[in-house]
Parts: sequence; C-alpha cells; structure tokens
Amino acid sequence: MKHTTVVIIGGGATGIGILRDLSMRGVKAVLLEQGGIASGASSRFHGLLHSGGRYAVKDNEAARECIEENMILRRIGRECVEESEGFFVLSQQDDPAYEKPWVEACAKAGIKTEPVDVKEALRLEPNLDPGIKAVYRVPDSSVDGFRLVWHNAMSARRYGGEMLTHHEVFAIDQEGGKVKGVRARNLVTGEEVCISCDVVVNAAGSWAAKVVELVGLEVGVQPDRGTLVAFNHRFTSRVINRLHMSSDGDIFVPHGSITILGTTSFHADRPDAHEAPTEDVLKLLDIGEVLIPNLRSYRILRAFAGTRPLYVAKGSAAGRAASRGFHISDHSEEGLDGMFSIFGGKFTTYRLMAEKLCDLVCEKLGVHAECRTAVEPLIADPSPAMMEKAAKYFPVHSVPLVANRLGDAFPIVVEKAAAMKSNPLLCECEMVTRAEIEYVASDPSSHSMTDVRLRTRLGMGTCQGTYCSLRTIGALTECRVPFPLSPADNLRDFLQERWKGLRPALWGLQAREMELGRAVYAATLNIDGARDEQKN
Amino acid sequence: MNRKTDIVVVGSGLAGMSAALTAAQSGKKVTLLTHGAGTLAISSGCIDVLGYLNGVRVADPFESMATLPAEHPYSLIGGAETVREAIDWLKSVCRKGGIDMAHAAEEGNHTLITVMGTLKPSYLCPDSFNPDCLKDVHRAAVVTVENMKDVHPGLIIDQLHRYAELSDKEFMEAVLPCPIEHAHRNITPLDIARHVETPEGMKWLEKSLMPYAKLYPVLLLPPICGMKHSQQIWNQLCSALKVKIIEMVSIPPGVAGLRMRDVLKKALNAAGVYMVESAEVVRAEVEEGRCKTVHTLTASGEDAWEADSFIIATGGLLSGGISTAPGKAWESIFQLSLDAPADTEAWSSPDIFGSSFFASMGVKVNHELKPLNGEGNVCLDNVRFAGRVLGGYDFAAEKSGNGVALATGRYAGMLAGKE
Repeated sequence: MKHTTVVIIGGGATGIGILRDLSMRGVKAVLLEQGGIASGASSRFHGLLHSGGRYAVKDNEAARECIEENMILRRIGRECVEESEGFFVLSQQDDPAYEKPWVEACAKAGIKTEPVDVKEALRLEPNLDPGIKAVYRVPDSSVDGFRLVWHNAMSARRYGGEMLTHHEVFAIDQEGGKVKGVRARNLVTGEEVCISCDVVVNAAGSWAAKVVELVGLEVGVQPDRGTLVAFNHRFTSRVINRLHMSSDGDIFVPHGSITILGTTSFHADRPDAHEAPTEDVLKLLDIGEVLIPNLRSYRILRAFAGTRPLYVAKGSAAGRAASRGFHISDHSEEGLDGMFSIFGGKFTTYRLMAEKLCDLVCEKLGVHAECRTAVEPLIADPSPAMMEKAAKYFPVHSVPLVANRLGDAFPIVVEKAAAMKSNPLLCECEMVTRAEIEYVASDPSSHSMTDVRLRTRLGMGTCQGTYCSLRTIGALTECRVPFPLSPADNLRDFLQERWKGLRPALWGLQAREMELGRAVYAATLNIDGARDEQKN
Repeated sequence: MNRKTDIVVVGSGLAGMSAALTAAQSGKKVTLLTHGAGTLAISSGCIDVLGYLNGVRVADPFESMATLPAEHPYSLIGGAETVREAIDWLKSVCRKGGIDMAHAAEEGNHTLITVMGTLKPSYLCPDSFNPDCLKDVHRAAVVTVENMKDVHPGLIIDQLHRYAELSDKEFMEAVLPCPIEHAHRNITPLDIARHVETPEGMKWLEKSLMPYAKLYPVLLLPPICGMKHSQQIWNQLCSALKVKIIEMVSIPPGVAGLRMRDVLKKALNAAGVYMVESAEVVRAEVEEGRCKTVHTLTASGEDAWEADSFIIATGGLLSGGISTAPGKAWESIFQLSLDAPADTEAWSSPDIFGSSFFASMGVKVNHELKPLNGEGNVCLDNVRFAGRVLGGYDFAAEKSGNGVALATGRYAGMLAGKE
C-alpha cells in the first residue's frame, strides 16, 4: 500500500495544475489519470488563450478571470503560447447593436480593445470577407494545450509530484465519514494499486460525476460536446472571433502551420463522446464561411471533439447558455470529509482553478505555504550554449520548437542526440527527431505510439501518419522500448486513432490522402491481414 | 489544336499502359494522355491478383475468383481465364524488357516479405522478390543502408519471428554504410537503387554485402538492386556472392513499380503509341451517348483529342479519377455519378481497414467495361473504364490492385482493338 497526502483524479490541465501547485507548496500528492496526460478536453479544444472578450457581455467575472490568467500564462508558460493576438470581427450577419455594449464590457473586465480600420484589417488578414463591418484587436493568443499541461507536469515532478497514467480509479475508500484512500487499476497491466491518503481531489472534468458516484454523491456536471476542424493551412495570422453573442463555429485559431475552427456545443450523453460527426463539420464550414469565404478550398486535416465539463446548478441552463465559470464542491458539506470536486471553467483559467482548490486543501491540512504558480515559470530557459549544441544534432530551424516542446527534458534529449550516430527526422511535418521519440517513448507514462504522438505531435501534420508511423515503429522496435503491443498492433492502433479524425471529413483532398494511406498500409504492407497471421 | 487517332487512353498506371499497349499491338493507332506519373511510381511492382476474400486468406486466387460477386471487375471480364491470359501477356512483355517475373513454386500465391517484416500474398513478382529460397535455409541476414529511415532490420526480424513458418529461423541485422551524400534529405531505396546502376555503385554493393554473404545463404534487401538493369544486377550479385538475394516489398517511392513502368514505356514506344505527358484531361465532348473528344489542359492551352474509342484509366481517389465532396462522388472526366450515400458518414467503416463504400467506390460498368447509368444501360458507347476508377472491389483489403489494373486494362485494350 502506497501512502500520500492528496490523491488527484484526472490528468487534464486542472488536475496537473493542482499537482504542480500542491507539490510547490510541499504537499505530497499522487495524480491518477485513466488515459494519457491531457488526453481529454485539455487537448480537445481550439487552443485559444482567451482574452475574455468572448465572455465580456454575458459573464464579466469570467472575462476578468480570463484576461488576468491570460497575462499570467504568457509569462509563466511562454514556451506554450504563440503570441498571435486576436481580432473580433463584426460580419455582415452580426447585429451592429452588440458592438457598443461589447466594447464597454471589455473595458469593465480590463480587456484592452483597439479598433482597427477595416481596410487595414483586410490588409493584415486578406482571407477575411471583404464585406466585414468593424474589427477590434484584443490580446487573444494561441496556446498549445498538450504542451502546457506537460510543462506543468514536468514542473510538478521536479517538486516531487507523482503521476500514474492509464490508471482508472474504481473505488474511493472511506471510514467514519472521512476518505481513507483510493483504489485504481492499471489499464495496461491490469494490476490494482491502493493509495491511502487524507484528501481526494476530483478533477476528472467531464468524468467528475462518475467519480463522485463512487462515493454515492452527485455533482452538477454536464458533458457538452464541442467539435473542431483542423485545416492543413494557416490562412489567418491571428485568432479571429465573430463580434456577436458567443455561438457555434465562430472562432479561428492559427497554430504553427494549421488553423483550427471551432466549436459546436451539443449535449453529450457520455463524457468520452469524442467522435466528431460529419454533421458538425458541415455546420462549422457553413458558419465559418461567413468570415472566411474561401474556407472550403482548404484541405481539412482532421475533425475532433472534446467534452466540456459544464457546471449546471440544479434548475439552470445547459449548453451554450451554461456558465463557463468554475465551481468547487467540498463534499464535507454532504458528510464526506476530505473530498473535493472541481469542475466547469476553461483551459485559460486552469491555474486559477488549481490555486483556489489548493487553498482549500491546504487550509484543511493546516499547510500555510503560499501559492507561487502565478510567478514561477513552468520551465527554465535553456542556456544559449545548450541551444548551440542542439543545432549540431537537430535541424537548425527546429531547435527553438524542440526546446519549447521538451521543456525540462531538452538538455537530456540533446545529450541523447549527441551520443547517437545520427538523429534523423522521423516526423517531417512536425519536425520530430529520433532522439526525441526514443526519449518520450521511454518515459513511464508512454505505453504506445499514440502516447508518443500526444507528447511530440508525431503524425499530427500533413501526412497524418502515412509516412512517419512506419519509420517510428521501426526505430522504437530497434531500441527495444517495451510496449505491451506488438509493432503491427501498435501501428494499427495508431492509424486507427488517426482514422477517427479523418473519417468525419472524408472527401476532397482528405479522401485522396486516405486512399494513399490504405495503399501503403493495407495493399503494400498488409498490416490488416497480418492481424490474424502473426502471434503476439 | 485537334488530333485524331483510333484510340485515346487516359492514364499511365498499369491499367492505362496495358490498355494502350494491347490496343497498339492489335494494329490500332493509340494516343496515351497522362497527367502524372501513374501509380506504378508508388507501387510494389508485384502483381497482387487476389490475396483475401472477405478478410479470409485465399489459397489460390484463380479458384477463389469464381466466388466473387457479379459486379467485381474480375467477374465482369470473364474471371480466371481472362486474368491468366493478361498475366501471361505481362510476363512476356516484362521478359522482353529485361525483367523475369516469377510464379510461386506451388500453385497459388507467393508470400512476399515487406520492409515492415510483414508477409503479403501476391501472385506474380520479379525474380528478385521471390521468397521461395528462404524455405530451404535456416539463416538469413536482413540488410539495410545507413540513414534509410524506412527500413529497420530490428523491426523486420521482430515481425518475421511472429509468423509460425519463420519463427525458428535465425535472422541477423546488417547495416551497410551509406554510399551517397545525403545532405538533409531522406535516403530511400530509390536513391540507392539508382546509385547501384552505376559501376561504382554496383562495386559498392557487392563489396558491402561480401562479409554477410560469407555467413548467410540468403540476404534480405530493400529494393536497391538497380533500376533499368535490375535483373542483370541481381543475377550478377547472386552469382558473384554465391547467395540468394530477396528484395523486400517497400513503400513509396516504388522502386520495382518504376522498373516495370520503364519496361512498359519502352514497349509503348516500340509499338508506336503516342504518349503525351503532363496533359490533364479536364473535360470531354459527348454527343448522343458517344464521346467525340477529350480535352487536355497544358501550359500552352487546351487541346482536343479525337478518337473512335476511349479508355479511361485515371485511377481512383488518389490519382484523381474519382472526385468527392460532402455527400457526392463522381467520375472526374464525364461527371458520372457514383451513387454515393448522401450521408458522408455512411461512406466509411469505423475500422480503418473495414469494408465500405469509400474503399470500393467507382464507376459501374458492363461486361465490356462500358459505363452504366442508373437504369443499368450503357451511357457512353465508345468509352471503357479500367483500373482503380472501376467500382466493385477494394484493392487494399483484397490485395488485388495491380491484378485488376492489368486484367481490366488489357481487356479494355483488346475490346477496343477489335472494333
């Protein structure tokens, strides 16, 4: 039996943020995540670091939280933020009467807005519809969700925080109205682990209701499906929002060489409703065309969906009308001491959510350490000497990208690359080299090529795995990374996972790419036939 | 500009080239229009005829052909007899062009070895891919070239050992030093195969393989034994080193496919086929159910190509013969509807390799490969379709891509040649 002070359930931005915060305050904590790190909503959103402009009119408080956290994350997590700024655009279809109250609400929340002359806006963003009526500049940005969560995790580890991925909690033990510990199953090996603890924090996002069911309680969490479409082109330089009451499909967020359009809002009947239906994709294209008229000429890379853990107080609105604010439940009020749940909120405010929750936990534990997550950067900048050294073993133009992606692990991977005979690029779209892949694959949290993908972005680019996956499984098999699956099964799972995102938009250039994928992996390499012919 | 020949073939994959060559050999004047390089450039260069039927491995592709559904291209063109004739024809074309194609020692399919270490059923392959010699030995070396990212002996050996028939064989990893400057580009088997065409490259390969040849009776190689002279180079290496070399089936670029393409291009040239490259057919003029001309678009403008009959071998989704949009799929030149379900999600299976409309969408044709309308009547009387543009089969799941391309291409060429 393992012992710790706090067990955190859920490895998304909130849970990992809590792990970091507690670890920095000197509180021992173990985090349990049923999948990989950031495999739920923390990676299944548009990657927008909100200025708060979107919520200014409806929920000024939430807007204020956004702008404050936005400024903090630019400082502490600048490796994860692309400072792209944002435009709010009044399209021909939007109500001009919304403009004035919006500007006032932004001012009230502390969000700086600056009117931009339409002609100038069209010069800066030539793909925008020439008929737009008004444009404002706001401090929106793009944020890499995977990376930010991982950097938090690395920072937490540095402070002694521990995390177990692919561990599903199946019981929360209690005695005399107090939590005693947590039991979980390792989904890879089937082993059970018991961890005794004083406090349990439920940060399971859309799964929060399932977690409190284990102790016979209820929480007001409603999973809400949001579908997003990633395009294989960066056709805007900035985040583009519609200047209207927040609605479906009205945000474009550029990331590196791609653009993400989102999102829809549909009631989801289960927290893992991650299938993006074609219907949602077509709806997004229809709405997106209002701002970007030539939208359909771009190749869709994939469609994906996540579930927002919306907080719905009994009897209040769901879906788009529900609050984007967050909520903390201290279950001692319902007779279970030592258990907290946190839900609702947005990625942009994950740090604040963690801080508030950790304040409560520390108060309960009698710990007086202050929260320092708003001031201490997630990772230390690599030294110029290390950057220079890296340039010898990585493609030169990829060095800053690799350093940002790897954070703490950058020097380790550079040394690894230096010791290798050569360090070829295995994923050319996302510039991932063999040293990085081997390093990430050997991390205890990696159990498959899909886990490696989540952390490195392997296979997330133009080819969607058609070219990089064979050579990656080759490299990983050669360096004997002990994955539980056979190479062919691992590759099949990886391609199947990619397929899930390709299927909802299977037409045009995307269909063309998929026929190539089937030609390579089924027709040429027969990995479909090999399934029954090979032994594991 | 308006040019006229007896027959215009569109597409230079295996289907288009087989059709054009067959028609020209029967005495017709043939023009071959091609936009890209054709899928032979990414092909394994082996003729997969039929490996699986409904997910079950077939013992003999010709026996199983009789059980295929009526709309399968093989069934439409007369089944085993027609396909066998096409294979024999291709063998003779390849032999004349310098590539000997090999059947399996026993009736039925070969079991080829891929660069992933998987095994794949295929009916006919170049001599250099014939894996039969592996049956008689216990030891073999698995060879790659330094910096060749897509060929990992460690993976290949791990995978081969997972097959019952190979589990007791002893395999050794061998990495040859890279003979060419590689700068920042991938080294592919194609780069090395081209290098091996040069005297110094050939010397390099022989010398690098020597130490392994002394220890192992069989060497498994990526397809690097030359391009135009691959057969001679392979023969020479096997006899000089006193070993059997097996080339492994590789992913694009398709070295062996390009070797075959080269042979076919020469044969087309010798048969007097007029081949126009970089010419995309963008539309056709149709009058009263007959195609008058097809029109290509090049840098110099639009050209019209007139003929008595047309053979369309433009490929599928990948090559552009089939176009798609949400809820719609059509043949690209004549805009023939492919009757796609309006709900795009119904096109595909949740399993990436599952059977689906997407995998087998294509033009519906009759026994003469002429296109049919919704009522089942021929809608273009002097147009035939061949290869992946045809519907009714899933080349990837069945492992029947080159087989269907060859057989339907040859059949379309024969029918057009007789007219």
